Amino acid sequence: MPLVLAVMTLGLATALAPVAARLLGRNAGYPLAALYLLAAGILVPPAGAVLSGNTPSTTLPWVPSLGVDLALRFDGLGLVFATIALLIGAVVLLYSTKYLAAGERHTSFFVLMAAFTVSMLCLVMADDLVVLFICWELTSLASFFLIARSGREAEGPSMRTLLLTFIGGLFLLTAVASIWARLGTTDLGAILAADIWQTDPTFRTVIALLVALAACTKSAQFPFHSWLPDAMAAITPVSAYLHAAAVVKAGIFLLLRFSPIFHDDLAWQVLLVTAGLITTVIGGWFALQQTDLKRLMAYSTVSQLGLIVATIGIGTEAALTAAIIHTIAHAMFKAGLFMMVGVVDHATHTRDVGRMPTGLYRKLPVSFTLTLLGAASMAGIPPLLGFVSKEAMFDALLGEGHWTGWAALVVAAAGAVLTLSYCLKLVLGAFVDGPDDERPVEAQDPWLVIWAGLPIAASVPLVFMLAVIDAPLAAATTAAFGEASAPHLALWHGVNAALLATLAVLVAGIVVAVLRRRVLPAVEALEFPVSGVEVLGAWNRGMQRLGHLIDRPVAADHATRHVASILGSLGALGILGVASVARSLPPQQDGLGRPIDWIVAGLMLAAVLAVCVARSRIAATVALSTVGVLATVQILSLGAPDVAMTQLLVESLNIIVIMLVLQKLPMRFPRRSTRGNVLTALGSIGVGAGVAALVWASVGRRERSDLARYFLDETYAEAGGHNVVNIILVEFRAFDTLGELSVLGMAGVAIVAIYSTIQAKRLEPVPLRERIAARRDLPLNPDRDSTAYRAMQIAWPNNVGLQMMLRVAGPVLVIVSALLFWRGHNSPGGGFNAALVAAALVGLIYLSTSRDRQIGPPRVPLYLIGGGIITAVVTGLIGFVARGSFLAPIHGYLAGVHLTTSMIFDVGVYLAVLGLMMLTFNLLGTSAITPEHGEGTRERADEAVEGELPGPLEPIRGQAKRRVGPRTRHITAGTRPKEPGR
Amino acid sequence: MIIIFTIFVLVSGGTFLVLQRSMVRAVFGLGLISHAVNLILLVSGVPAWRGEPITSEADLARAADPLPQAFVLTAIVITLAVTILMLALAVIGHNDDQVRHPETGEDHDS
Repeated sequence: MPLVLAVMTLGLATALAPVAARLLGRNAGYPLAALYLLAAGILVPPAGAVLSGNTPSTTLPWVPSLGVDLALRFDGLGLVFATIALLIGAVVLLYSTKYLAAGERHTSFFVLMAAFTVSMLCLVMADDLVVLFICWELTSLASFFLIARSGREAEGPSMRTLLLTFIGGLFLLTAVASIWARLGTTDLGAILAADIWQTDPTFRTVIALLVALAACTKSAQFPFHSWLPDAMAAITPVSAYLHAAAVVKAGIFLLLRFSPIFHDDLAWQVLLVTAGLITTVIGGWFALQQTDLKRLMAYSTVSQLGLIVATIGIGTEAALTAAIIHTIAHAMFKAGLFMMVGVVDHATHTRDVGRMPTGLYRKLPVSFTLTLLGAASMAGIPPLLGFVSKEAMFDALLGEGHWTGWAALVVAAAGAVLTLSYCLKLVLGAFVDGPDDERPVEAQDPWLVIWAGLPIAASVPLVFMLAVIDAPLAAATTAAFGEASAPHLALWHGVNAALLATLAVLVAGIVVAVLRRRVLPAVEALEFPVSGVEVLGAWNRGMQRLGHLIDRPVAADHATRHVASILGSLGALGILGVASVARSLPPQQDGLGRPIDWIVAGLMLAAVLAVCVARSRIAATVALSTVGVLATVQILSLGAPDVAMTQLLVESLNIIVIMLVLQKLPMRFPRRSTRGNVLTALGSIGVGAGVAALVWASVGRRERSDLARYFLDETYAEAGGHNVVNIILVEFRAFDTLGELSVLGMAGVAIVAIYSTIQAKRLEPVPLRERIAARRDLPLNPDRDSTAYRAMQIAWPNNVGLQMMLRVAGPVLVIVSALLFWRGHNSPGGGFNAALVAAALVGLIYLSTSRDRQIGPPRVPLYLIGGGIITAVVTGLIGFVARGSFLAPIHGYLAGVHLTTSMIFDVGVYLAVLGLMMLTFNLLGTSAITPEHGEGTRERADEAVEGELPGPLEPIRGQAKRRVGPRTRHITAGTRPKEPGR
Repeated sequence: MIIIFTIFVLVSGGTFLVLQRSMVRAVFGLGLISHAVNLILLVSGVPAWRGEPITSEADLARAADPLPQAFVLTAIVITLAVTILMLALAVIGHNDDQVRHPETGEDHDS
């Protein structure tokens, strides 16, 4: 349970981080560091258990159906890595309270650091493969965000980091999935103890390689090393944590975690030793080339990790012990040195050795001493912790003294010479050899130096109390080796090969130090032919090109191609599919046709042809209307009076809307080439044939359905009405209808929304003069009383006839609408039809006005739509409360008349339909000259939401005054902008 | 079953129009295709029985399947909404669907 508690403490830190950052600014590091230390304190009792040979564990059920548990286990490895993550994390947080700029919030830094530590802690305590993998990816994500938050310059590096670490994640995912599939469990303890690793060496080798590759990407091993120096774009505390305790150590942890099963595997050994030794040499070389201290540190991490990975690859008990002790030593000196570079940076405002002030050691003596100690530890100079660990690693690499061991030792020693050289460059370059004797040095807050130097200072006494870490080291080695182990570290091993190697390295280092003014510029001048960043960039571009090759056929901006491919495949599917099953179809029913079908089919052919070939828009509209009427006839002949009525009403409204739109458009459709038309026609006939084949194959080949019988037999008993279709709509399938009326209403809302994003002048139609290519100005009789003048210039007499008709037709339509609504339950009619009649009345009123204006108050349509949907939903809720089922109708009798709540639902339908149609008339009815006399389209769209307005809102409704954003704040506030990479 | 021919005509014409450049023609095409789909839905109820599905009418043995009719009724109204939305989009901005090209004999289609 303490394990969960520790994780939860850090989870609490993550949750509190935004609040703390808001209240305390950079001082949020103090409470967070306290929580880190608390978590470490909580882990003390389990740590005691680990040291006495137990492995405390906790299991919480997580995905029981998959057998995946949130299992945590604390062993020696977990102990070492959790301690590193928590203690280094706490120091880094304390350091950041002085390092970060005062007066700013740094919320994302604190949140991400805490999240980072949580995932790291879970990773090292995971006892389940899935948990392990998820935490692995979380650390990748956290490092990505921590790098990415440093501004523009960090975008490229952060993306490259993400790319490489996720590639590693894919290796690990493959390994996890393979293990899970093969062993059927995700329990890490069971997996590590499985027999299969002995019985199936091929499987073992494959998994070993996958795990090794995953760890190599994370720990920045050659050839995946390029992301780590790249990640320098992050601020110094992030770099310190990343390099010393977190991401890169996650890779080391993974190798050690799986070491018990793979350490005997030859492929594992060869891969890790080779990659590690190459990395340590080239990392050291690159580090020596850098003039930027931070980049130097970054490459030194690459080099140091290479040495650790190579040692893990050796796989002996002594080697694993050496790797673990060097991991600890590296965490301490690297975290400290990084933070020291930050101190130097703060004091001198540069990290370039070529610009350092002269004799900095005199001005920053404490920092100089601590940096010297850290660098000496990194270089493996006795009597420091780095010396102990490096000796142990040299010993382990040499092993039994086989020639491979000697080769490894020589390469590692070469790496060590480089290490010593860049350590000298770091110390001398930063503190002694600075060429710039005029650069000012700012005094630093002593606490900044104290926190930065703490890890280094702590490692010094540790080396004289090596017995203290013997016990945890033994526990960790036991976990990494798989067998009980009791290593013993000592400062003095006697004279052996490792010590001689160290002496040789020291001599070489002294030579470099003396000759540094000649050696270093020569090294810096050597250019490596290709950098990792370039390789990644080229790879990225190649993948993009490949992607374009794939997406080009479908990435056309020509909508026709998409539609053609969809409809074409439908046609092909129909023809081919039906051809393959045509022989095995059940027989068709008799009597499927009627004589009237023939008449409709003949007329339909003519009407559809007319729609297709018409160049005049009006002619096409008339033909379309003919098609609608013919469809109505066909529907009526199929025994669907309700549907036919709806179709006819919809058709008439449709025509009104089309005519409103057409008056804004040219008279004729644009011309198209004959060849294109013929091809399109042929393809279309193919699609039609395919669909017809599908219909032929699937229709009329069964008896009446049970569902049809049920509805016909039971509707009256169930709902007390005779019109089955209407009752299906408002009772049996009322939920569908609710969706439908919402779609209707939303169409209206969508039109308003779209229109209110477009400038008013873009919404009004093109003036008539521009639309007609050659307009002849007729000389008009100037006499204002002449018939010709009145016909052309005065609008109102044109509509007198319609207005007169409206006086009679209006009341009739109202009555018809009410009647249709009332009788819907028993006879053809219902809310839809009634609303469409009412909408037709609105249309008629709209058309009969002499001047284009809105019908009714401008906000009414949206109220109607909203009211309709609310009415329907409330009816549904009443049914839910009263009968336990949403939209269930309640029946009752009032004065002998059968009433039901589904009629209220129908009111909702009625309102929504009416609202949409009113909105349509108001918004689409404007013409080119409307804005000259009244409200244009945009103004009406705005008024539909805002109520009466004096004019259109420009440019976008609801647009607030823009706040000056975080990246531009320095303009208004006058504060210095945050600089990336610091 | 000659209705299949009607469906064929409607789908062919609708496809032809949808593939045209003019937005208004595409809307018309969509209208034709929805007529076709409505008919397909209706005939899925087997057009051998074509009586009105109103239970107060006598002959229920001849009545048509009411469920497809309910679907089609819904479909018709949604088609209306979609058509209106697309027509509203067709008149936005001053594109070449609205400004007529001079008849130069050039092909403006591709």
